[in-house]
Amino acid sequence: MAAFGRRNVLLALLAAAMVLPAVANVYHLFIANLIVVYVLLAIGLNILVGYAGQLAFANAAMFGIGAYATGLLQVRLGWSFWLAFPGGALLAALVGLALALPALRLSGLYLALSTLAFAQATQWVFLHWESLTFGAGGFKTPALSFAPLPIDKPHGLYYLSLALLVALFLFAQNLVASRVGRAFVAVRDGEVAAQSLGIDLLRYKALAFGISGFYAGIAGGLYSAMLNFVAPEGFDLFQMVLQKAMIVVGGLGSITGSLLGAGLVIILLEALRAFKGLQEIVFGALLVAFVLGMRGGLVSLLKRHLRGWEEPLRLAQPAPPLVRARPLEVPAGGREQ
Amino acid sequence: MSPVVLSLEDLHFSFGGLKVLDGVRMQVRRGEIRGLIGPNGAGKTTLLNIICGIHRPQQGDVRLNGVSIVGRKPSAIARLGLGRTFQSSQLFQGMTVLENMMVGLHRRTRTGLISAGLDRRRRRSEETEMEAAARAALAFVGLADLAERPATALSFGQQRVIEIARTLISEPALVLLDEPAVGLSANRLTELDILLRRIRQEKGVTLILIEHVIRLVMGVCDQVTVLSSGRAIADGPPAAVRSDRGVIEAYLGKDLGARYQAS
Repeated sequence: MAAFGRRNVLLALLAAAMVLPAVANVYHLFIANLIVVYVLLAIGLNILVGYAGQLAFANAAMFGIGAYATGLLQVRLGWSFWLAFPGGALLAALVGLALALPALRLSGLYLALSTLAFAQATQWVFLHWESLTFGAGGFKTPALSFAPLPIDKPHGLYYLSLALLVALFLFAQNLVASRVGRAFVAVRDGEVAAQSLGIDLLRYKALAFGISGFYAGIAGGLYSAMLNFVAPEGFDLFQMVLQKAMIVVGGLGSITGSLLGAGLVIILLEALRAFKGLQEIVFGALLVAFVLGMRGGLVSLLKRHLRGWEEPLRLAQPAPPLVRARPLEVPAGGREQ
Repeated sequence: MSPVVLSLEDLHFSFGGLKVLDGVRMQVRRGEIRGLIGPNGAGKTTLLNIICGIHRPQQGDVRLNGVSIVGRKPSAIARLGLGRTFQSSQLFQGMTVLENMMVGLHRRTRTGLISAGLDRRRRRSEETEMEAAARAALAFVGLADLAERPATALSFGQQRVIEIARTLISEPALVLLDEPAVGLSANRLTELDILLRRIRQEKGVTLILIEHVIRLVMGVCDQVTVLSSGRAIADGPPAAVRSDRGVIEAYLGKDLGARYQAS
């Protein structure tokens, strides 16, 4: 295996993430935790958009549902975080499953619009159902404690997030290289052909939506614990654009790409935080550059330049040279597609 | 006589006021290569879409191995053993040829969400088996060396053959081939002819061939059904169908048909 193979690079990143708290200040730790949260969001979204091909705009809303549910289950029902957190993630997954129903009949722009409408409706509920959600002002969540473990909240939460990320990264990585992952790609590349091979559209769309909902719900729960506060602002359309940008920059249809894209975008935004105007300009330029110049995202760059970088689904491999000893066939009747 | 694989019973179908199928009956027996021909607009594609579960007939029944499949989802019908290929290439463009073949094995494999994500060993072993089966199926159609190619890098003729192989790999009871000869050169047509015979002989798969290239139909089919204006107007061995008066009239019209027969 090459020194810069995917596995080695990922292990090196993980090692860096493990020792980071030893050298980081509170702010750096917060940013690192934020990156972990966004990587989770990007992985879930990439499974839905990059693999299953469902152009949905509800991930920011699912993120919000995870955060709100985790917070409200603690505040309203008095649950502990350790119950409310998985509860919130499951709720987001269930909402995701329900979103698959419209996705069965809609695709492309129509799916984008209907999921956008759902996201706006969710935003409206966060803002205006004050007796449940505390309205525009948001609400404070109970302080999270890792007692009896001898670890303070920022460090504990960081390592919890990291552990969840490792588990969910591996799960996603295994999934996309399996029968289920291929079924997602089949649904993306041709619904009619996929069905003719026995792939149930509803089942696999629901799975993709449910998984992305679950990942967003986990991310939302962690995010609410990071801030100790939940408010409607974080889960709006800009949030959605941010997540889409991450998977485009990292590489659609790549789990590792989700990680790289989320990391790069967050670091860039934070590095430019001091220059408010510049932040938006650079973010916009980055998006345009990747959409126009590098459709495959960062991952395609790595594949081209790092020997031994291999993506699980073989489609990501560079095409073998087409010049071979055997002549290419030319169809007589035309109709080449 | 071998058992009936597919049986169409009195199928009626219309799009709004337009009657497309008007009481079609047809029986296909195991091991048969059945040709389905007819002039444009005769209802061939609609009939195929009904068998696959894309359209639902207003009246009548479709039985696959004796089981009624009307009202079932296309994917459910596929899992019961119905395969099909398409007029235009429907390979999954984002995958390699090998991965396309492995999707063909979908209905034969079981890995679900949890075992796919968590059970590495089971997934690996199933993957290895699937890959071996996929390579064997590619070898059967003589395209084993294309396994690692992206689907986008194939010629038109190769895509056709891979698509047939992808359908065959799950060992369906019946395969519907929707105009597989469209756009093929004479050489490729001969290869297709040979491939179809081999599929029947070596795989024991029943085939329904919907085709305009009459040379192919008359060459490989045991039985030919002619569809015209939503009815099956003739049914029998190629030679008998070729000289059937109704068939000639359906293709050429009454006047020309009569002249053709007189000549």
